[in-house]
Formats: sequence, structure tokens, C-alpha cells
Amino acid sequence: MTNPQRPRAFRIPSADQTPPEAATAEAPPPPRPEVRFVDEPYEIVDAADGVAVPVAPKRRAPWLSILFSALGGLVTIAVGLSIERLITDLFATAPWLGFVALALLGIAAVALTALVAREALGVWRERKIEALRERALAALSTRDHTAAQGVVQELRGFYTGRPALAAGIRRLDAVGDAILDVDDRLALAEGELLSPLDRQAKAAIAQAASQVSAVTALSPRAIVDVAFVVFSAARLLRRIAAIYGGRPGLLGFLRLARAALAHLTVTGGMAVGEGMLHQVLGLGLAARVSAKLGEGVLNGLMTARFGLAALAVCRPLPFVRVSPPTVNDVAGQLFRSSEDRA
Amino acid sequence: MPPLFDYAAQAGSAIKAFAEASSDLLIQPTLRLGVTGLARSGKTVFTTALIHHLVEGHALPAFEPAHAGRLRRARLVPQPDDDVPRFPFEENFTALTEARRWPGSTDRISQFRLAIEYERAGGWRSGPATLMLDVVDYPGEWLLDLALVDQSYVAWSRATIAGTRRAGRAEIAAPWLAVMAELDPAAPLDEVVAERAANAFKAYLAALRAGAESVATTPPGRFLMPGDLAGSPMLTFAPLDRLEEVQAPGSLGALMERRFEAYKSKVVEPFFREHFQRVDRQIVLVDVLSAVDSGPAALAELEEALDAVLLAFRIGRNSLLSRFFAPRAERIMFAATKADHLHQSSHDRLDALLRLLVSRAMRRTEAAGARVGTVALASVRATRETTVHDGGEVLRAVSGTPEAGEHVGDEIFDGLSEAAVFPGELPADPQAVLDGAVPPGSFRFPRFRPPPVRSDALGRPGHLPQIRLDRAMQFLIGDRLT
Repeated sequence: MTNPQRPRAFRIPSADQTPPEAATAEAPPPPRPEVRFVDEPYEIVDAADGVAVPVAPKRRAPWLSILFSALGGLVTIAVGLSIERLITDLFATAPWLGFVALALLGIAAVALTALVAREALGVWRERKIEALRERALAALSTRDHTAAQGVVQELRGFYTGRPALAAGIRRLDAVGDAILDVDDRLALAEGELLSPLDRQAKAAIAQAASQVSAVTALSPRAIVDVAFVVFSAARLLRRIAAIYGGRPGLLGFLRLARAALAHLTVTGGMAVGEGMLHQVLGLGLAARVSAKLGEGVLNGLMTARFGLAALAVCRPLPFVRVSPPTVNDVAGQLFRSSEDRA
Repeated sequence: MPPLFDYAAQAGSAIKAFAEASSDLLIQPTLRLGVTGLARSGKTVFTTALIHHLVEGHALPAFEPAHAGRLRRARLVPQPDDDVPRFPFEENFTALTEARRWPGSTDRISQFRLAIEYERAGGWRSGPATLMLDVVDYPGEWLLDLALVDQSYVAWSRATIAGTRRAGRAEIAAPWLAVMAELDPAAPLDEVVAERAANAFKAYLAALRAGAESVATTPPGRFLMPGDLAGSPMLTFAPLDRLEEVQAPGSLGALMERRFEAYKSKVVEPFFREHFQRVDRQIVLVDVLSAVDSGPAALAELEEALDAVLLAFRIGRNSLLSRFFAPRAERIMFAATKADHLHQSSHDRLDALLRLLVSRAMRRTEAAGARVGTVALASVRATRETTVHDGGEVLRAVSGTPEAGEHVGDEIFDGLSEAAVFPGELPADPQAVLDGAVPPGSFRFPRFRPPPVRSDALGRPGHLPQIRLDRAMQFLIGDRLT
């Protein structure tokens, strides 16, 4: 900034060299020979702004869910009716049996309420995280300051209770409502609040991947591998969700698993392009040494992939400035260790 | 103004708002877009470009309805108010494309209505729908009058006279101050004297606007752009020095005060009530670059003017009740226009500078619950990006056809030849510009002529290029087209 460049203008020689009639007094001086012009592509401004607004699919009338709700209602009525019959029968047989059944019913009702509440809370939290991510994306694409501020505030509220993030929250509060760019504001929140969590999640994925590959390499039967892979994928998903602040119950878990699998199928193609060469090379080496070892590495890779998809689904913000972790980041040690083992 | 009239006026506008809100909900969805900006900030060009892109159905990547292919068509339809002239879209468009000159400065109010037919995207209903978009164009000079509404004649006189003491104004103000010094507010009224004072005052305002550093105008705006009021007694008043708090009846001061009040109640308030209080969305166009070109004093003036204007608007989140009786603007976008005068790598800095300039207004708007967005845009993009290799130096410049008479350094353009212009680099920290830490002469933003746009062999009009106009459209009207 000490020596700013002065504003300057350079005439561009026009393609047709016919001088206009008016300019007879003096011809414009020819440009100095050492000046060279390079036109940039006309679309560069649009390109620099990044991708256009994502197109949301058209929502359809939810007939399927209406069908299931109706059927569910019927089943509930049937169950209620049979319980009611049972209790009347018991009262007819012996009144004290009837009272015991009534008490049991009450306890069951309380437990059911608690369960439903927990499930609902879990699903609600998942939805909130999803909505937060979508709002952040929308704010980024339309440069909406108010929305960005809202996202950061909500994210802050989400992590208030965590002692490990207290310092980050304090630093975030110091910035307050200063007028910041949308991406700057979100990137700041990402750096202060999410990067410690990202590290934890990456460590969890790496650990799960190496566990899976070790168990696969050592296990005597294929069925054991499959069971362990599924089990550890489920455990990983739960763990990542917990790291980012979700507490999925069964329903929330199913939702998340579906989202992660969908994400996996979408990003699968991309991942092949990016690091497959490395992976196949490593796998080739390991597989040549032992088929079982190769299988282990492959299963570990799959777990890592799934873990990354789970991370993308559970994270409350899109990746703003931080680059998303790759398979190499979380499963790189598999090749190294397999090569060591080899 | 007596409170009774005030209540009557408010009740009148509430009834009108109620009628409009019910028709918006029940009969025909309508969106009123307020295009606000000081003189020469590019309101007319913005409006023309908006109509052009919607009517021609161009690809607008960041405008979701257009990008998703849900816009069926848009057309200009007869406007709702028959007493307001129609916006001369065709004239402006021809000026831009065929004569390659910017539309002349607006000298009166005009209006248009655009019927946008689109395919619904979400919710239970699907199929085609229509949204009416109403936009009003008006001279930017009139905008600062809004600040007069809450001022009394005495306060306004004092403020205007105090304004002459600002740096660089003494010379401009001298002739008017000399005339005013001879006037005694307590003297008996004399029409000839009043007219002489008003003329001297008008000359001062005109000189002020023509000055190099001026970005905003000093009210009253009708003195510069009288519209259809030229010569009316309502425009024959001027500030007076040595005013008492209460004017003696029959004196010159009393006459001036009466006319000032008449100007407020008959000119400013109807304009404000008719066209500003009932907008749903608001875009505030700011010509940041010209102000940067003129230095920190001009920037400060711009900030103050924008703040005064925005205070007058009703802004905030709508509740059920307010939607019906006193609607507020719920989305406000601040736009730095003429972004095409800078290389795109500096657009972020322009955006940052704009945010700093409007931060006071932005905070207040956000506190009221409205959504705020900022953008650096060019309604009509007149340049392209060029890298200039000058010896060992690499400059990121823009090239286009500068207007005749514009100059950069000692180069003076004839309006015909093309040139690559490096306008100087905006500092990374926008505060530096306001603090005056940037040496004068670091920037020069010459005006460019509109880009050459030819109609094709079938006679269809060409496509006016733009920068981020689509983004602004998405923020302002995108959510109503779902």
C-alpha cells in the first residue's frame, strides 16, 4: 500500500484503421510497442462468482406418507382395541388382575411417551442441523448478510454448552455484529467452532477404518466381516452425529443413514477420480501379498468413505474455506500400515 | 401540520394499504419494488435492464426462477395509477443500444407494471401463476426532500446556512449569502424580494450540484428538478438568516415559512406517501466509485445523505397486522452500481467499501427485522476485463469505450476509440479510503459508453450484458416466484 499504482489508460488500436472525419487535428499517438493486451474471457465475472443457485426439485404431494400414516393409524386403533378387550376380560376374571394390567399399561404409556419424545427430539435436532446447512448455503449464494448472521448465532447457541469450544465462542463474540462479508463470517464460525470437531470426526473415521481393516484381515469367516463392517459403520455414524451435536434416536439414525448413503452414491463418482489411483495401487500391493489383507484394506476404505459421507451429512455448515477431507486424509494410514505389514 | 390532518392522512394511507394487501392476498399477487438512489446513481438504467432481462427471458444463472426455467414470460401491462406517466422503457432501451448513450437524467416521476408469468415451484399448489411487479422511477434529486418532513423552517434555514461553511463551499455560496445578508425576516413581505432570494438560492443549489465534489444534492430537490411545478409559489422560498423562533404575521419570514410548510405538505408528503411508504422490497443504489473518485469528503456526504433517506422509510419485518395497515419493506438490498468500472478481482473490495459506507443504515435496518443484502453490480456492463502487460508490469484493467471528454492522466478520450483503463487499486481495508490514508489521485473512474449491442438478422434486440443483476433480482423478488 506504500506505493500504489497510479491509474492509467492505454488506447487499444482499433481493428479498422479508418480515422473518423472529425479527428483531423491530430491523430491519436500509436500505443507504445511494449504494451500488450490480453483480453480475459467475458464470462470470467460469472465464473468467479461460483456456481449458480442450486435448483430445488419440485415437491410433490406426499401420498406415500399419507398412506403410511393412515395404515399406522389403523394399526394403532387395532392395538388399542385389543388391549382394551384384554383389560375388560381381566377385570371380568378377577378385579385385581385388571388393576395390575392397568398399572402395567400406565407404565408402558409413560415409557412410550419418553421414547417418542426422545426420538422426536433426535429427529428435530437432525432437521435443525440440516436446515442450518441449507440456510448457510442459501446465504452464501445470495450474499444475504442477515441470514449469515442468523446462521452463526444459531450455531453458537448450538455449541454453548461445550467447554472445549468456549474459547472459540468467546473469540466469535468478540467479533460481534461487525459488518463482515458473508463468506468471511461463515468461515470464521467454521474455523472457531467446527474445525476442532472436524479433527475429532476425522480421527474417529480413521480409527474405525483401521479397526475394520484389521478385523477383516484377521477374521476367519466372511459373515463375521460383513457383520463387523455394518456394525462399525453404524457406530461411526452415531459417533460422528454426536460429535457435531446431534443425538439421533432410532428414527434420526435411519434418516441420517439414508442421507449418508445417498451422499455416498452422489460423491462416489467424484472420489474415484480424485484418489483412486493411489488406492488401487496400494490395494494392488497389499492384495499381491495376501488376498485377505487386500480385502481388509478394501473394507477399511469403504468404511472411510462412508464415514466421510456421514461427516458431510452431520456437519451443520457446508465446507466454506476448509477443504473437505478426502479418503487419503482419513485412510492414508491404511496403505502405509498395509505396506509396512507387507 | 395539525395532528388532525396527520391522522386523516395516516388513516387514508392505512385504508389504501388495506385494500392493496387484501388484493395481494386474495385477487392478484403484487409486489412493489422501490428503486431508491441519489441523483446519477443509475436508477433508470437499473430499471431498464431489469425489464429488458425479464421481458426477453434471458438466462440469468443466479436468478433461480429463470435458471430453473420456470419463467414463462413477462410483459409490460397497463400500470395501476393512471395519473403517473409510463416509464419510457423503449426510449431508454433504444438510447442504450442504438445510440450507445446512457438515458438522460430523469426529470419526472414515471411508473410501470410488469406481469411475470411463472410456474410454481413448491407447496401443494402447482401450475402457472402471475406476479405483478410495480416499479416507480423518479428524479434522485427529490429523494433528499424526505429529510425535510420532520424539519421546521427555522431549523432548516439554520442547517442550510451552516452547510455553506463546509470546506470548499465558501466561494460557491458567496453570491447567495450576499443577497441574503440584505434581507430582514421581520420586514414586511414583498413578492419581488422573495423571488430574488429564491432565485439566488436556486443558483447556489445548482452550482453546488455542478461542483466537482458533490455526490448528493442539498434539498429542496424540486428547485433543481421542478417537474411540473416550475414557477409555482411553492418553489419561491429560501432560507433566511437572523430568524426569530416565531415569525411576525405579514413579515417576509412568515411568508417564507408558509411556503416552506406548503412545499412539505403539498409536494413532499404526497410523493412520499404515494410512492415510498408502500413498498415491499427496496433496492438502494449507491454510486460508490464516483464518491471514491472525489475523495473522503464526498464519501462522508454520501453516507450522511443515505442515512437521512433511509430514516424516512418504513422498514422491518411484517406482522399480520402491519401487513394490512402499515406495510413495511422487509428486504433491503444495498447495491454499489457501476462495478464494471473495476476489474472483477476488486469487486469484493468494492462490496466491502459499500458495507462500511452503509453500516449505520444497515445496523438499524437489521435491528428493525428486515433482511439486508449487499452486492456490487453493473446493471449494464460496459467493459470487459483485460490484462495489460506494460513492460514488466501486469495491470488488471477494464477496457471499453470511454465517453467523449473523459480523461485519465493526460489522456483525453474522444468517445470513439477503445481504451484499457487501470482505475487504481482499491485498498484491502476499506477504512483507509474513509480515513483519507489513500493519496489523492490514486483512483480515476472515467465513464464508459454503453457496450455495442446489435440486434440480430431477425431484428430481435441484442442482449445487454450485466454483472450480478441476477443476484440482486434473486434477493429482491426470487422468493415471491416460488
